[in-house]
Amino acid sequence: MTESTLTGKSMDAGGTGETMIELTGVEKWFGDFQALKGIDLVVGKKETVVVCGPSGSGKSTLIRCINRLEVHNRGRIVVDGTELSDDVRDIQAIRRETGMVFQSFNLFPHLTILENITLAPRQVRRKPKKEAEQTAMDLLTRVKIPDQANKFPGQLSGGQQQRAAIARALAMEPKVMLFDEPTSALDPEMIKEVLDTMEQLADSGMTMVCVTHEMGFARAVADRVVFMADGAIVEVNDPETLFTSPQEQRTQLFLSQILVHPS
Amino acid sequence: MTTTDPATRTSEPAATPPSGGPTGMAWVRENLFPDVWNSLLTLTLGPLLAWGVYALGRFLFVTGRWEIITVNLTTLMVGRFPRDQLFRLWIAIAILAVVIGLALGVANSVARAAAVESGDDYHRPWHEPIRRFGPPVTLLIVMGVFVRTATPLLLLAAALGLAAVAYRLGRMIPIRRRGQVNLVVILGVIGAQLAITGFDGVPRSVWGGLLLTIYFTVGALLFAFPLGVAVALGRRSSLPVVRGTCMVYIEFFRGMPLVVLLFTGWLVLPFFLPPQFPTPDIVTRAMVILVLFTSAYVAEIVRGGLQGLPRGQREAAQALGLSPWKQTRLIILPQALRSVIPALVGQAISLFKDTTLVLAVGLTELLQVARIIPGQEDFRGQGLFAETLIFVSLIYWVGSYWMSRESQRLEAKLGVGER
Repeated sequence: MTESTLTGKSMDAGGTGETMIELTGVEKWFGDFQALKGIDLVVGKKETVVVCGPSGSGKSTLIRCINRLEVHNRGRIVVDGTELSDDVRDIQAIRRETGMVFQSFNLFPHLTILENITLAPRQVRRKPKKEAEQTAMDLLTRVKIPDQANKFPGQLSGGQQQRAAIARALAMEPKVMLFDEPTSALDPEMIKEVLDTMEQLADSGMTMVCVTHEMGFARAVADRVVFMADGAIVEVNDPETLFTSPQEQRTQLFLSQILVHPS
Repeated sequence: MTTTDPATRTSEPAATPPSGGPTGMAWVRENLFPDVWNSLLTLTLGPLLAWGVYALGRFLFVTGRWEIITVNLTTLMVGRFPRDQLFRLWIAIAILAVVIGLALGVANSVARAAAVESGDDYHRPWHEPIRRFGPPVTLLIVMGVFVRTATPLLLLAAALGLAAVAYRLGRMIPIRRRGQVNLVVILGVIGAQLAITGFDGVPRSVWGGLLLTIYFTVGALLFAFPLGVAVALGRRSSLPVVRGTCMVYIEFFRGMPLVVLLFTGWLVLPFFLPPQFPTPDIVTRAMVILVLFTSAYVAEIVRGGLQGLPRGQREAAQALGLSPWKQTRLIILPQALRSVIPALVGQAISLFKDTTLVLAVGLTELLQVARIIPGQEDFRGQGLFAETLIFVSLIYWVGSYWMSRESQRLEAKLGVGER
């Protein structure tokens, strides 16, 4: 394991310097396969961290552990002062504060866009219907699809669906947003609209952890980029340094593979 | 048809689909006598079909001795139900007409509101109610042919009138009072049964005919569906005990022929009940068996729907912080049930037809009445089985066909497979 040499960078909270998410020695096993091999990472308040790496390197597993969609086997995960444990109340507390955006959108197909967005605020936060709908419309305006409010997800384009999914996560007023390859299932012409939304969100001071291969986005928006391979963090640095002069051989190899065809 | 160059064809003013097909002799030649083999088929099957239609028509309108139905219409409808207590049945029908009318009225205003909200204009073609209620109305008209006095027709018309008034009323009820309306419907259904059995009324053990068939079908459905959904959820529980119990339950009731279960409930169950515990009457026992049997099938159908959902749906609900019960109730179940509507309705149709098996435990439901009446003194030895069997088959067929059509309507409305 190589993380000892980079613990410094990965444990330095960016952003305001206060800690939002802290992972210490997180390990995750799927049967005999070790997906995460002792991850140490600190994400600061208002910081945007991009996680990249080859497929199977554990980046999705990593962010899915943060809101307990996967259960980590060893180590500690603390989100905004609450440690993830088997206690359902802790899990629910962390999920309420963490919004997640999925690769395949996962909007609820039997509900309209507006209902998708107001569902959790009304059911979990017990907001009155009118108030929840007002917030939802504001969010839809922010992601530029207010006129789609009463349509069903199946009637929207991929890019619109993903922006609706972002609005749905934001409706819970989360302190952290997790993005799990949000643009990987999109047609090229729709990627930009989603990335623009995410950039705007980062500028507004949201704490974000994004698993993505969009290097342009990482350069423009990320405070730090985490490069993972084989379940471990290989290198952490600011995007400019990591992309132009990567320290590790594994990073260089990966970057040369994905940067050969500039798009 | 002459082939045209695609380029010139696209420049033609309007691309209309080819209208109609060949007509007259051309149609006959193309469809009935295109080649030797098909001509042979036409010449063989054509006369057979014609003969079949002729024979059936002759039986239905000429040789059939339908007075057996005329004389026994009441028996076919209610079996041994005391004739001087029939007014109770009409009260029950009136109550049901009112609550069903109310429920349909509220459903209509909900559909309207949903359409308005999503910006569609709510438009229902004028013939939709006719199409929708065509099969049962046709059946009622057929029955009307066999009625001897005008009284039942007048009472039925009055019930329909009540339903229509209740429908209007239902449309005026604000949607947010939906819950109260549902409660009224449930109370109405219970009240309808009480109107027959309560107040020194008619115990269910002497009910019979179509009344008993409908009672078993509707009653078993009302209990089997929720139970089946619960078992399906239990089958996927993370608790081994719950999962195991549900699995055993499903496999046991699916692995037994319904008749065997009914016999067990009839003959064996009383021995296993503690003596101080009064054995429930046979109708209750048969109903419980039908519920247990049907719910096992419903559970497997629903489980199929649950498994068909992408994992991301639950994950998204989890990520939003919904509690496990709310994830299931608001996200998982609505989608899973929607996707298995056709299979669920198939199960309902099955149940409707399977109620004939309660004749095995000595209950005179519709089919049993049809088997008994040709042996009555007036008709004995005349072999009038065809008349009675055709009559009850018509009732079963119309009932099943109607359910299947309503399911298609529901599917179209909920957009199964589209969203």
